[in-house]
Amino acid sequence: MYAVAAAALQSWAWHPWTAAVLFFAAVLYVIGWIRIRRLVRTTHDGTRLACFLAGLAVVWLATSSPLDAFDKLFLSAHMTQHLLLLSIAPPLLLLGRPLVPLLRGLSKRFVKEALGPFLTSPVCHRISDWFTSMPVAWLLFAISTVVWHFPAAYESALGSNGWHDFQHACFFWTGVLFWVPLIQQTPGKSRWPAWAPIPYLLFADLVNTIVSATFVFAGKVLYPTYEAVHLGSVSAQTDQTLAGAIMWVPGSIVYLVPAAVFAMRLLSPERETAPQPVVRVPKPVGSRSFSYKTKWLVPARRVAQWVMLAIAIAVIVDGLVGTQVAPLNLAGVLPWVHWRALSVMALLLVGNLFCLACPFTLVRDIGRRMRTPTLRWPRYLRSKWLPIALLLLYFWAYEAFGLWNSPYATACIILGYFAASLVIDVSFRGGSFCKYVCPIGQFHFVTSLVSPREVRVRQSSVCDSCRTHDCIRGNATARGCELYLFQPKKASNLDCTFCLDCVNACPHDNVALLPILPAKTLTEDPYRSSIGRLSKRSDFAALALLIVFAAFVNAAGMTGPVMSYEHRWHARLGPHATPVAVGIFVLLGAVVAPVLLVSACVGLNRLIVKREQIFEIARRLIYALVPIGIGMWAAHLLYHVAPAWTTSLAFVTPAQILCLDAGLLLTLYVILRIAEQYGGGMRRVLAIAAPWALLSFALYGAGIWILFQPMEMRGMVH
Amino acid sequence: MSRFRRPYIPILLLFGTVQFLRADGGKVLLQKQAGPFLITLFSDPSVVRVGRVDLSVLCQKSDDKSTILDAKVFLHLTKPGGAEIVEFTLPATHQAATNKTLYAAHLDLPSSGKWKVKVDATRGGDEASVTGDLNVLPKEPLLVTYWPFFIVVPLIAFLFALNRRLRRGRELRHPRVRP
Repeated sequence: MYAVAAAALQSWAWHPWTAAVLFFAAVLYVIGWIRIRRLVRTTHDGTRLACFLAGLAVVWLATSSPLDAFDKLFLSAHMTQHLLLLSIAPPLLLLGRPLVPLLRGLSKRFVKEALGPFLTSPVCHRISDWFTSMPVAWLLFAISTVVWHFPAAYESALGSNGWHDFQHACFFWTGVLFWVPLIQQTPGKSRWPAWAPIPYLLFADLVNTIVSATFVFAGKVLYPTYEAVHLGSVSAQTDQTLAGAIMWVPGSIVYLVPAAVFAMRLLSPERETAPQPVVRVPKPVGSRSFSYKTKWLVPARRVAQWVMLAIAIAVIVDGLVGTQVAPLNLAGVLPWVHWRALSVMALLLVGNLFCLACPFTLVRDIGRRMRTPTLRWPRYLRSKWLPIALLLLYFWAYEAFGLWNSPYATACIILGYFAASLVIDVSFRGGSFCKYVCPIGQFHFVTSLVSPREVRVRQSSVCDSCRTHDCIRGNATARGCELYLFQPKKASNLDCTFCLDCVNACPHDNVALLPILPAKTLTEDPYRSSIGRLSKRSDFAALALLIVFAAFVNAAGMTGPVMSYEHRWHARLGPHATPVAVGIFVLLGAVVAPVLLVSACVGLNRLIVKREQIFEIARRLIYALVPIGIGMWAAHLLYHVAPAWTTSLAFVTPAQILCLDAGLLLTLYVILRIAEQYGGGMRRVLAIAAPWALLSFALYGAGIWILFQPMEMRGMVH
Repeated sequence: MSRFRRPYIPILLLFGTVQFLRADGGKVLLQKQAGPFLITLFSDPSVVRVGRVDLSVLCQKSDDKSTILDAKVFLHLTKPGGAEIVEFTLPATHQAATNKTLYAAHLDLPSSGKWKVKVDATRGGDEASVTGDLNVLPKEPLLVTYWPFFIVVPLIAFLFALNRRLRRGRELRHPRVRP
């Protein structure tokens, strides 16, 4: 018996989506709560935090604990689960006064721009007022409670995951709506008379009593599913009676205790809670700024570089002398499975962290101590055309020679990378390798256009009065930007390696790693230091286009149809034909297709846009495709890395689709914003945007098709 | 911020997905008494389709219905008919089960049709096996399986359009006065 009880108590379910939402809500609330505490404090702050977190814990308990595992075996377990979702979690969450903390937890701009219009709209107010008026909220609660307990409805929930989810959502939502009129945000501002909560709660208890009494006194098992299976001496009838008792007694307490509290308040108005004292917190002197925090990153960067260098050496050694079975070799696993996914994840969550920790520049710095570079990078190579060619070469070589499957080749490539960066940077001044050669760097530069952080100035007025311009020129103790980015004119993460040299050099502490709205810089076309306007730079547009389309080509290379195409060539012409076949595939997918598709968009735009503007618009709108390209990279790399990190892979496909969804939405938004800058009215805006929106939908469709194809899991042990 | 007096809105925004309140479904596929055992087989999802399926077994003593936790349970699945007979044999374990009083096995069913499922349970010297049918339906189109993730785009596009409309309405009601 004890063994069964112990096994039952170990029956915790792991629902990644539930855990993610609850964790996200908790983090958001805590961040907002801390931000508010920095401004004002009340005596109830701690209680509110505890209530909200307890509410989340109750939801988690209801959906992931043994209650969930036993809900199809015991009605009593299921009833307890419903009680938690309907009557315990909602009031706890609402007692946490979640509105302001959750909104403060989000970025101010998002709240103002995205949520503000809804939160302040009179129509939304009217709808929400209607839903949370006492009669409507009560009615919804009663309907949900009664209807879901009809045998037909309950049985359908037990027999289908979809209906079961919907049942739980109904209980939770109606629970939230039910408790809103009782837990007012602003005390004393209720729309209802002070006595109204008492009948509201008592009638709710009446409904609860009727349903629970039906379970207790029915005399037969109401839900046949529970009759089919029963454990030990607990019969289905006993279980049903127990469920009724749980619903009746603790369920009634939940309504009767608040009713009593409201009655006491009504009878003793002097006991009404006095307004809480609010203490405004003075701003501490010498408070830590973002700049201060970024400065802390400067020495941390060196540590990260040394760690990455050690890893790179381990990968090279293992690649050269270790086993040549890729999944068992560091060179087969670390760069192709983990590093690619981690670097994209870091780019999407923070910024260009791999360039920050780049081991190649560390070796280059050591080399420069021995030999100071004197040459200037040739003028004709000061563009992105060379790295575009190198990137193309890399995408082709990756597919044609199966680099993921060859630790030796991987080690040689890394060694070659070290040698190239050393030779170029001890010969040429500045960050020539990073800016004009490194294909990995170019990938990161473009991807970091949707990063949420950017190295930029805090206050432009400070830069206006600066005469030394240490951020680009450097000074006696710190070097300036090697990629020639002048901070006051730097307008995005393009060409920024996050080396933090400018942060270190600025004598005013005015450069920092600051938050930015992802993809915001794609909607603008200011003059960018060392780059100029993106609308005038064909090489940057070509680079972006290549990275976008390469995402689809790279992922498609793993799919069944493409693999069988390669195998056909292989069978027909022998092994030497594979590089040619792959070359044709990469060329068609990453060069010909984008050129044709963009030309078609330009051609359609040409019908309504002046000739002199057409290429400028095209160069800008090409950048709008970057988010969907990155969405595809993220989705594809997630597929590689997920099996290495977890065995529970049910989340992978939904997460991949969400990556593409996010990319498409951001792309559509950027297209619209750019088109608005050239449009004279809605019709013209839509006419400019339509071809590009169609292109992005086509890419989305292609991405979904690729994700749903059978894939060859490269670099992994099957 | 003082205008935002709707505490439930962010909660609904956060918890507004049905999928979030995930629940276990499942269905009794067969329940038979064999020797000293009462064996119940569940499937999740309740409608079995080609692809991933979780089969779990509840093993009880047939006399007092008490749960047996120390049995060895194997599942045999066979699809007869046609030129080729497809056959699986796999152990069902507590480790694979969410509900640790059950024995579970996860498997990928390759084809639709009527499958034979046999559950073998042994404990000490006692052995029992029960058989039944498992009706496997063809695979759902992936677009149907993942539909909630595809409506994200039109839903957010709709909310964006609504946002713009509301903002325009607000600007008309409260035009910005520039000094």
